Amino acid sequence: MTRRPSQERFLTLLDEHKKILYKVAGSYCRNPEDRRDLEQEIVAQLWRSFDRYDESYKFSTWMYRIALNVAISFSRSETRRSRHTVPAGESILEIADVRETAETDAGLQILRRLIAQLDELDRALILLYLDGNRYDTIAEILGISETNVGTKIGRIKARLRRDAATL
Amino acid sequence: MDIDDMKQRWEEADRKLEASLRLSTRLLRESALSKAARATSRLSWLMLPEILLNLGLVVWLGSFIADHFAQARFAIPALALDLGAIALLIAQGHQWFALRGIDYGAPVVAIQKELGRLRLQELRVFKWVMVTAPLAWTPLLIVAIKGLLGLDAYVLFSGAWLAANVAFGVAVLLLAVWVSRRYADRMGRSPGIQRLMRNLSGYSLSAAEGFLGSLARFEEEVPA
Repeated sequence: MTRRPSQERFLTLLDEHKKILYKVAGSYCRNPEDRRDLEQEIVAQLWRSFDRYDESYKFSTWMYRIALNVAISFSRSETRRSRHTVPAGESILEIADVRETAETDAGLQILRRLIAQLDELDRALILLYLDGNRYDTIAEILGISETNVGTKIGRIKARLRRDAATL
Repeated sequence: MDIDDMKQRWEEADRKLEASLRLSTRLLRESALSKAARATSRLSWLMLPEILLNLGLVVWLGSFIADHFAQARFAIPALALDLGAIALLIAQGHQWFALRGIDYGAPVVAIQKELGRLRLQELRVFKWVMVTAPLAWTPLLIVAIKGLLGLDAYVLFSGAWLAANVAFGVAVLLLAVWVSRRYADRMGRSPGIQRLMRNLSGYSLSAAEGFLGSLARFEEEVPA
């Protein structure tokens, strides 16, 4: 029998993994309004898909998959539609103290700018790597082999190094 | 820039973020989740009126063919239109079910490939609709005038007039493609018009094919 999704359970899991939402949206949208729209789209898709979530798998893996799938589609969308589900001016994610984020680290800002220049798939890969995921987890999220993950990460790192040197 | 050193700084920033980031569960409870639940697969619901309209057309054409089966000059154009409408209905139905069946929780490359293939199919259908539309106009006129008003277009209009209609339709299509290729980025601020122009010019089709190509390359095992 299918279990009915519980809103409270969903909100608890979302709260525990809110950093994924913040970082994926931030990696695919630099513009604050687009970023807010993307955060909402990701949450909406997570909620719509929650009844398919199998609790025997890690929530973070499932959430990364959905967040990245939505973010890639969002950034490829030719017609950006504003689908606000929360009142204008309000955001589902808030930073209590902006000094406590990567926004104030100049080096990380440069890294984020360089990551933004990568294509959508390489961006997903490097984001998962920087977030401390193991190669087998990255392979599971993206659906490519572990060897491929290792090779691609090596190449992206080399590219980022080269790009940073030209700055 | 050493990426592994940056990774450590990224993880450090991550720990600070954990303490600083707040999720507004109040806002989510009050509006976002309930609206999200209602907006189930918005895109697939947007397609529904189009599918129903086309279904209505198929049924109406079927009934027209049955009524005029013995009159080839009416039955043949109606049959041609009906076959086109059925082909479109099959393509739309496939898109609708496929979009509703997509599980965003599946691996990223697989889902992006599926979405890419659906986009490509949508654009190919659009291209064929645009190519055949000028040719469909004349049979549609013949069938609509007969079916809705009971009049005979062959008597009302001369053969030359009907041929001129086809030629005019083709000219309009060619002009639209030329304008969209030349002015796609300048015409219209509306996203809908921009999308139409990109679809007409073939830009969207190339982009969709390019994305599927990049997914295939991404999946490919490359020697280190």
